[in-house]
Amino acid sequence: MRRADEDQKMGVVATVNGRERRFEVLPRVSLADSLREELGLYGVRVGCEHGVCGACTIIVDDLPVRSCLMLGVQADGKTIRTVESLGGGKELHPLQQAFQRHHALQCGFCTSGILATAQALLEENPCPTRDEVREVLSGNICRCTGYQTIVDAIMDYAACAQANDTAFDAGAGESAT
Amino acid sequence: MSKSEIAQIRPKSIGTSIPRREDPGLLTGRARYIADIVLPDMLHIAILRSPVAHGRIRHIDVAAAQAMPGVELVWTGQDCVARCPGITSSLEQAGFAVTVQPLLAHDEICFVGEGIAVVVAHSRAQAEDALERIDVDIEELPVVTDALTAVDGADLANAAVASNMIYHSNRVTDPVDEAFASAALTVEGRFKTPRVNASPMETRGFVASHDWTSAALTCWSATQMPSFIKTMIAIFLQFPEQNLEVITPAVGGGFGQKAHLHPEELLVCMLSIELGRPVSWIEDRQENLFRAPQAKQQLNEMALAVDNDGRFLALRDRVTTDSGAYNSLPWTPLVEGHAGILVATDPYRISALSAESLSVATNKCPIGAYRGVGFSAPTLAREVLIDRAARKLGLSPFEIRRRNVIRQEDFPYQTRAGMMIREGSFLETVDRLEAMVGYEDFRKRQQEARKEGRLLGLGISIFSEISGIGTRALNFLDYPLTSHDTATVRVEPTGKVTVTTGIVTSGQGHPTTLAQIAADAFGIPVEDVTILAGSTHHAVGFGTVASRSAVFGAGTIGRAAEIVRGRMRAVAARLLQATSDEIEMAQGLVHVRDDPGRGMPFAAVAGAAYFAEATHPEDFDPALEATAAFDPSDIVLANGGHAVIVEIDLETCMARVEKMYAVEDCGRMINPMIVEGQIRGGMAQGVGMTLLEELIHDDRGQLTTSTFQDYLLPTSRDIPDIEISHLETPSSLVPGGIKGMGESAMISTPAAVAGAVNDALACFDVAIEQFPASPQRIFEALSEAAVLDGASLPN
Ligand code: FES
Ligand code: FES
Repeated sequence: MRRADEDQKMGVVATVNGRERRFEVLPRVSLADSLREELGLYGVRVGCEHGVCGACTIIVDDLPVRSCLMLGVQADGKTIRTVESLGGGKELHPLQQAFQRHHALQCGFCTSGILATAQALLEENPCPTRDEVREVLSGNICRCTGYQTIVDAIMDYAACAQANDTAFDAGAGESAT
Repeated sequence: MSKSEIAQIRPKSIGTSIPRREDPGLLTGRARYIADIVLPDMLHIAILRSPVAHGRIRHIDVAAAQAMPGVELVWTGQDCVARCPGITSSLEQAGFAVTVQPLLAHDEICFVGEGIAVVVAHSRAQAEDALERIDVDIEELPVVTDALTAVDGADLANAAVASNMIYHSNRVTDPVDEAFASAALTVEGRFKTPRVNASPMETRGFVASHDWTSAALTCWSATQMPSFIKTMIAIFLQFPEQNLEVITPAVGGGFGQKAHLHPEELLVCMLSIELGRPVSWIEDRQENLFRAPQAKQQLNEMALAVDNDGRFLALRDRVTTDSGAYNSLPWTPLVEGHAGILVATDPYRISALSAESLSVATNKCPIGAYRGVGFSAPTLAREVLIDRAARKLGLSPFEIRRRNVIRQEDFPYQTRAGMMIREGSFLETVDRLEAMVGYEDFRKRQQEARKEGRLLGLGISIFSEISGIGTRALNFLDYPLTSHDTATVRVEPTGKVTVTTGIVTSGQGHPTTLAQIAADAFGIPVEDVTILAGSTHHAVGFGTVASRSAVFGAGTIGRAAEIVRGRMRAVAARLLQATSDEIEMAQGLVHVRDDPGRGMPFAAVAGAAYFAEATHPEDFDPALEATAAFDPSDIVLANGGHAVIVEIDLETCMARVEKMYAVEDCGRMINPMIVEGQIRGGMAQGVGMTLLEELIHDDRGQLTTSTFQDYLLPTSRDIPDIEISHLETPSSLVPGGIKGMGESAMISTPAAVAGAVNDALACFDVAIEQFPASPQRIFEALSEAAVLDGASLPN
């Protein structure tokens, strides 16, 4: 086993937003900071760094994870999706479009994390009830919107996806940022 | 021409809920916030913050820190004070105690979290490591934590503030004793609002980059007041202002907390100048809870005299604001209690007011602005008292308000504090709210619920809001400040429009709403307008504070557009063989009034002005570009009301909000979707302040709620869906009839939540006057009524 030397960077190989990425990181650096600083994925927001606000939420092996509570080195061998993988092409992903339509964001700082939470929820449960959405969202703090329009957006997206018979298509517009 | 001139704007895009143009950047993670500003060679700082609330630095040794890996520089307060004495915050008011807050304490330390030393290193982690090697010896001094006893106490929180009294004001002292003596009913209480933190999801941050070759200092700040910050840097650091630029990146919420000059901002500038390299300060959450301006903490000892018919006779209020150790700049603690007593009677006819405000220094973080500042606390006290009076008189909470609100026939109505109310829809608000709530049905439901052992309560609150705060409003609140904005409008050769403004956004949607205003000023599609904002090179503005951007956006863009329109009309008049006065602009055309057939495309007129001299009238000024200022001629008042239904769980003693309602009258809405977003977000914050959030200091001045695990923000389970209804009383002082409204929900939601909790408890004849109404406080109230031993609830 490699020794976790405090000031010695360790190599990590992970699938990030659909592409294999290799980076080196100090063992004490959080996954959030690693993604931001080593891979330039600045869409990962850091709001509290102690696992409460949810701003840093990303998807690791299909589960929503607080990237401030994971270390960069723990990403080794994992499959990671950040907000940059949604609608990364030239248009917004339908979930993002629903957020815009419903004014589900104001300052936008919580938005990356909330999109990840919503994405993970919808992949598991494509047609949640309003209460289920509220329950799952309760791990993400938004100081601007009062939440209602976020719930509206997610419900609207789920209803449209249902109508079009498209399950959550995480690959839509996936990019290799 | 007067700076208050009201330009003509014909609403077309105004009034529609177009989606926000800034959303794609925010939704895709592409938008750059302050923490995403990364420059070549950039250094990071960490600040050593005081562990004690009051003390004197005996000795400080930074040698070991200096030797740590990656460290470039360590400064103490002594290093700073030699370069800048600190942030002086004064107001030209007799008896106002001036404070000078050092950028880092060099002698006296006045609160936990005050900066003592700074480390500059290659990474934030290295800087934090080095902090641990700094050796400080602090002599502890007596700590003042209770504003109520501080005034007569022997100990001073800050040696610069005699008797701990920053300012004592009593501008309105009508003789009210007689009214109280003869009143059929007096209701009174001691209402404590908590010390809270606005807690934007993005913390504060600042990056400075000094380039000696060009002598330029370029700064990035997560701020609501870039122009103000720029001028303060110029003044406090004696830096040539023409070489200064403050850029505002995407800002992750502000709510007033980012509307101050922070000591760290000056410090980062000084360090960048010293080192000749970019320097970044990104606050962490704990620092934010300790050190970012705190808010709202005050005691309102209020009494209301009421006659037999429920009419208000007189109001008495004595406010003590727990101000913290220094005056924040520019607001000072006067922005709380002192402003509060001047608006305490607002939407009601109350012919006698006697009020005083004490702003008291304590060993806590300075208090500053947070949404609804000044209004939230007295509104809460007043509205809870009104409900209490209604109960005693057997009136509905709607009826008692109906009997007292300022009505159409009262306009113009001058409040006892001297504010002229010319318009509003106070009575309509009460009626509308009552219908939305379904009052009679609610009372039945409340009765039924009680039989099932469930406690429901209804609270309502009616407010008026000083919006679009300009010079007149600031002067009314005793701020000797001048506050206008400018905007520059340019019509491009192809007929597109570029607006440069000093208005920055922290989520309010200005890139979209200002474009709507400019589009309507020229009668062109909104897609043809670009808003340039976010650099102090653009235009001058006081800041995105005090619900002022809609008002100042409309005012400045309207006036600047009018100048440009005049020139385009002159060209068009010549081309269309009409007089300038007959020329109108609508739907992308410039045409003769009432005759759209005699017209030409907007772009063609612009092109003619740029490229076809033959079309120019004599002595024509072809600049299709103009800069104009705006400052409303008087206070712009918005109004509305809120209603809240809570349920108190007798098992857990938790109050949960079941339903919320809002009525808003902000004149003509620019973008109703954005207005409703402001209402919902503000109401959620109002619930937070009244049920959940509280910064608690122990008697040593230690903050015991220093993470989001102890400082509880509302989540999606705490905030129900909100029903909103609009009234429209257009402003006569602002183009398009627009008013501001961003603060409104935090002005009056806390009052409605507090009223609802008290309504739920009223059947036991107990009340809660200290907030937040936490489970602990509800438990104590219910214990007082001995309800928790399983006795059945009264009907
Ligand atoms: S930053 Fe990770 S939960 Fe707040
Ligand atoms: S949009 Fe600002 S925190 Fe959610």
